[in-house]
Amino acid sequence: MSVIKLTGGRVIDPANGVDDQVRDIYVKDGRIVASLADGDKVSAEYNVSGRIVMSGAIDMHTHIGGGKVNIAREMLPEDHRDDPVARTEITRSSCGYCAPGTLAAGYRYAEMGYTSCFEPAIIPMNARQAHMEMGDTPIVDTGGYAMLGSDDFLLRMLVAKEDQQTINDYVAWILHSTQTLGIKVVNPGGISAFKFNQRKLDVDEQNAYYGVTPRQILRTLSRAVHELGVPHPLHVHASNLGVAGNVDSTLATMDAAEGLPIHLTHIQFHSYGSEGDRKFSSGAARIAEAINRHKNVTADVGQVLFGQTVTASGDNMSQYRNSGLASPKKSAVMDIEMEAGCGVVPFKYKDQNFVNALQWAIGLEIFLMVDDPWRIFLTTDHPNGAPFTTYPHLIKLLTDRSFRNSMLDTINADAKAMSNLASLEREYSLYEIAIMTRAAPARILGLTDRGHLAPGAAADIVVYKEDADRERMFEKPELVFKDGELVVRDGKVVKVVRGNTHVVKPEFDRGIEKKIEPYFRQYHSVRMNNFKISDDELCECGGGSKLIPHACRKRS
Amino acid sequence: MTNEATSSVVAEVACPFCGLACDDLSVDTGGDALAVVAGGCPKAQAGFARMGVAHAGAGARIAGKAVSFEEAYAEVARRVKTSALPVFSGMALDVNGMRGVMDLADAAGGVVDHLYSEIGWRSTRVVQDIGYVTTTLAEVKNRADLIVLVGTDVVTKSSRFFERYVWNDEAMFEPAPSARRIVYLGGDLNTAPGRSPDGREPEVFDFDCSRMPEALSTLNALLAKQPVRDAAPLGIEIARWQALADALRAAKYSVLVWMAGDFQPSQVDLNINAIMAVVRTLNVSTRCNGLGLGGADGELNASMVHAWQTGYPMRTSFASGIPLYDPVHNGSARLIAEGETDTVVWVSALNDTKQPPAEACVVIAPPTLKLEREPEVFIPVSTPGVHHVGHFFRGDKGATLPLRALRATGLPSAATVAAAITAKLKEVSA
Ligand code: SF4
Ligand SMILES: [Zn+2]
Ligand SMILES: [Zn+2]
Repeated sequence: MSVIKLTGGRVIDPANGVDDQVRDIYVKDGRIVASLADGDKVSAEYNVSGRIVMSGAIDMHTHIGGGKVNIAREMLPEDHRDDPVARTEITRSSCGYCAPGTLAAGYRYAEMGYTSCFEPAIIPMNARQAHMEMGDTPIVDTGGYAMLGSDDFLLRMLVAKEDQQTINDYVAWILHSTQTLGIKVVNPGGISAFKFNQRKLDVDEQNAYYGVTPRQILRTLSRAVHELGVPHPLHVHASNLGVAGNVDSTLATMDAAEGLPIHLTHIQFHSYGSEGDRKFSSGAARIAEAINRHKNVTADVGQVLFGQTVTASGDNMSQYRNSGLASPKKSAVMDIEMEAGCGVVPFKYKDQNFVNALQWAIGLEIFLMVDDPWRIFLTTDHPNGAPFTTYPHLIKLLTDRSFRNSMLDTINADAKAMSNLASLEREYSLYEIAIMTRAAPARILGLTDRGHLAPGAAADIVVYKEDADRERMFEKPELVFKDGELVVRDGKVVKVVRGNTHVVKPEFDRGIEKKIEPYFRQYHSVRMNNFKISDDELCECGGGSKLIPHACRKRS
Repeated sequence: MTNEATSSVVAEVACPFCGLACDDLSVDTGGDALAVVAGGCPKAQAGFARMGVAHAGAGARIAGKAVSFEEAYAEVARRVKTSALPVFSGMALDVNGMRGVMDLADAAGGVVDHLYSEIGWRSTRVVQDIGYVTTTLAEVKNRADLIVLVGTDVVTKSSRFFERYVWNDEAMFEPAPSARRIVYLGGDLNTAPGRSPDGREPEVFDFDCSRMPEALSTLNALLAKQPVRDAAPLGIEIARWQALADALRAAKYSVLVWMAGDFQPSQVDLNINAIMAVVRTLNVSTRCNGLGLGGADGELNASMVHAWQTGYPMRTSFASGIPLYDPVHNGSARLIAEGETDTVVWVSALNDTKQPPAEACVVIAPPTLKLEREPEVFIPVSTPGVHHVGHFFRGDKGATLPLRALRATGLPSAATVAAAITAKLKEVSA
């Protein structure tokens, strides 16, 4: 038995309404406990008085595993050269900046106080690879969202007008078979449309072969996820990624959920107007206003930060369209297994480029104009807007108005003139940052024992030395505990542990396999039974990760 | 596994003997050797029969003398520990086997190189230079209307390609599979499987495959509407080349298939680059994709794991404590030839026919491997998909298949062996 005491820290725990209160925290066998029992002996005590104590941070949308990330790694040796991670007694060597190896990613996340990371775009057929990569991402817990919406099985069901119940069974079957935590839809129906040579697809435009519209897909899938009781709402990468004027289709996407919960990801890339001389403007005010009004909507930002990165998306229709903008000039685009696709395009965001500078401003505008920090999440859509290692810098931009304005003064002047950023006075508090990066992601993913510090919670705990420079503060926590083990001290990994895998297992009628099995036999490249990942296999391909299933409460 | 309870036949078995990873095999586990009774191909039958035995009596050896596994692990640990640059080659492994060797190679400060890396690094260079537009096998099965095989017949290496992915009885979209148009670029290929079920012969552009760069530049020129002076490039009249270009433009979902291992090594990146030029030109107006096949002997298991863990492809040196990628410098054949390594460790659990290089002092392989010379240390291992479960990347990168345990053996897996050596190595260090 191990008992740890963190003494005298200033606890910020928004899930439990605790804002900067001095408290002692006890940890017994990896869990937080209210107090010690009589026989308990404290095996390690940490005096953290004056320090800020939060639960471990959670990145709810980060491309850390799966096929496209590995393509990016292979494609970009020039990215890795200047960012090596040296081998130590306890850690392996690895490298990479915007497309790091899994080992580098796990160590760096932990060193920044992140203890859980979720891969948002798992192609069902590729779920094994995603779990293997996540299994080789040390220290942090992982999980992912399975991509549906351009898979031929679902599109055929929609054409056949199958009832919602049958579709729900299929969606649940996918969650079980791929061992995932949620459902993601990327450019709804658009990846399929691209295979039929369509180059764009608006929310009410039909897939040339199936006649199905993105709106239908969104309505059906958001309802399926809701009725199955999956905690995380349908995770949506909307239509028209990166297109000037896409704010209208983004608003239409929100409407398509018809009031049911819906999460719009990397919404910055979907908040563009088409005003001004260059026909590119900020749609942030309209988007923020819509989020403020629609309580069923949540969003993560996908903030752009300047510098070299690589964009990796399931949206091959958009990535193909953008491949001409690649820097350096190379790109990979794939159609994948009657389910999805992917596109990898390296990109350099330049602060003197009008469009890039405005993208930067638009992301910040959204952060600052959405009122409720429980419904807006801090992401860069790693690595699409910037690598996750820029989070401390992003936190500084949000918490420090004078710093933000000094940065604004350095960007492309026309972009600056088009943005209302200078007039936005809001500065995020530490409490709000803790909501955005801990409490809210745990809540929206249904992780009841993460993202907070009440008794019963897993002891994922971070201790920061307060620093007026929030970038410095968040980039190097003093202590990080993962499930009660001290894994990072002074911003360096001191112990490597294996994270858990979070999944949901909604109830469903297994009779759906009578429809799925012949489909696989006839059209797919593998048999249904070889597609499904069992619990035992997950732990095997995850390299021994522990499986944590989260409850679903059926709503139909 | 429907029959398992009642008979010794296991159904829906995935095959690890080439990059196609067919998963519709039925394997009878009742006899002394494993017998493929449905699905499969001669290579699969031979593989399961040869390797699918219990390996009773096989043990580790040092200098030809029987030793315990522990002694063998310690000896390998000692050798890689004292080596300035141990080279781990072969790498015909499942995912976990590769994971194990990666731990070891990093701790030992070595280099990891797959037996096909000499071709593989050249394919990777295309990704690093220009990237690609590609598709996967299920898409081909349901969508392809025109399939161009570039310098390969596929079937010599993966015999069931047409059976499983081209001449299907039904596809999801038009055209009907039997109406698919098949074109071979290059001569000396086995084109018989390209004949449609209703007897339509494939088109063959018969020329010496070493002249593939000229063939592809002809095609690229025609697609770019540039003049081609030669009236009969490679001895084939220009009208036929033009007809092929027109067919590609008219196709809705054409696919250009290659196997890098079938190209001349010096032409691998040149040819794939040229194929990608064709693909990119066509995608402006229609859909056209490349399909690079390969992946035999766990080639992708090795390259994928290496890339995701370290960031770099294989041929990366861990000698300095940080990964340094140099695919020319770190080629195992070059390191051996130049005397830059004194310790070559051959690890191969999936292949028992390929001989390790003469310089390999440690061989970790199935006991069915008939060694031409006794290495200083030999450690027998079991085979993934035969004796133990595992994971295998299919050659198109479209799927990863679960491998089954069909036959018990007392031998350790390559992953277990690698982990044991790593543990000994760390004891030595501590
Ligand atoms: S074609 Fe390849 S994968 Fe398929 S059965 Fe034969 S050897 Fe096995
Ligand atoms: Zn996305
Ligand atoms: Zn994303």
